Amino acid sequence: MTAPCTVPFDCKKCLQACPQAVFLVTAVKVERGKETDPKEPGAYRLFAPHRDKCTGCNDCIELCPEDAITINFPPLEA
Amino acid sequence: MCWVCEAYGDPEVENGRWYLNPKNHSRNMYKIKKPDQKAAAYGSDPEAQSGRNIGEIMQFRFTDPDKFNQLIKEANAMKGSGPFQIGQVIPIQEAYKVVEMSYPVASMSCICRIHNRAQEERNEHEYSCTGLGVGMLKWERWPERYKGGVNFMAPDEAKEWLVKWNKKGMVHIIMTFGGSYVGGVCNCDYPDCGMIRNRVDYGIETGCLKSHWVAKIDYDLCTGCGVCVQRCQFGAIKFEVTLDKTNIDQLKCFGCGLCETGCPTNAIELIDRESLPGLREVW
Repeated sequence: MTAPCTVPFDCKKCLQACPQAVFLVTAVKVERGKETDPKEPGAYRLFAPHRDKCTGCNDCIELCPEDAITINFPPLEA
Repeated sequence: MCWVCEAYGDPEVENGRWYLNPKNHSRNMYKIKKPDQKAAAYGSDPEAQSGRNIGEIMQFRFTDPDKFNQLIKEANAMKGSGPFQIGQVIPIQEAYKVVEMSYPVASMSCICRIHNRAQEERNEHEYSCTGLGVGMLKWERWPERYKGGVNFMAPDEAKEWLVKWNKKGMVHIIMTFGGSYVGGVCNCDYPDCGMIRNRVDYGIETGCLKSHWVAKIDYDLCTGCGVCVQRCQFGAIKFEVTLDKTNIDQLKCFGCGLCETGCPTNAIELIDRESLPGLREVW
């Protein structure tokens, strides 16, 4: 996902609304011996590892307050 | 025969079930770490899930689908010799035996639900996973590293805890963390659970093997109420309109026993998978 989504745990709308559960939130900042703080901006990021299961229902796009999600399906072949 | 039992079971103990073999519950308290190893987040490859080795396979899903399918085949063929985390579905009756023999037993937050649904479980009222073995002491010892903590349970409390999640409709999966060492009885559901998801959606078998049991329905007792259909996480049960009863596909059945514990007329029983010739090698 793109930069605007910095604190996925504060919002988590897309994560909980997706019917296909395509999203994943994971720590990108790692300190040895310390669990990353979910409240720290930028420490966790949102990914879509199961995007092969996306149906394009656009629920996540409508819910996202930061307009951070885009869905790209290849256009229909003529 | 179940290949995990073949590798880690003891034929003298509990019919050779690997997760009821005490040796697999006796992990050392400390691991020896390589000094130049860098710290990395769980599933530090964002395209990946459920540990590093599965992650290495999963990243090919978008870049090279043919290689992805090939790697899954290879991984499944490796069985006991592969470097993968082992998970096997168990019915609640066997989960009771596990919490009786393992020490310590603790409730804790579920790592899959945090990642996949951002469901933070920060206290004992919110925890949904069961941790087993000395690894649980880490949570107490290093609170900075393992936030959220754990809640230690006596065997009787642990059984009540398993019943609570069974009633809600969670599948119990026995998990190893490092070799054959049992580290937990997860309470899982599709699609939040990484292991069930990897198996059902992508065909990666090691993390979510089928149990030693399989559900069988007694058509004389079945009233067709449909409770079991709701409880099945694997899509093995459907309502068969012609008979006005429930139909269980035993080839799809994972033997978790949720339909059995939910059935109001006790029409479903769990039978030994290996007693059926057609299912003997289906794990």
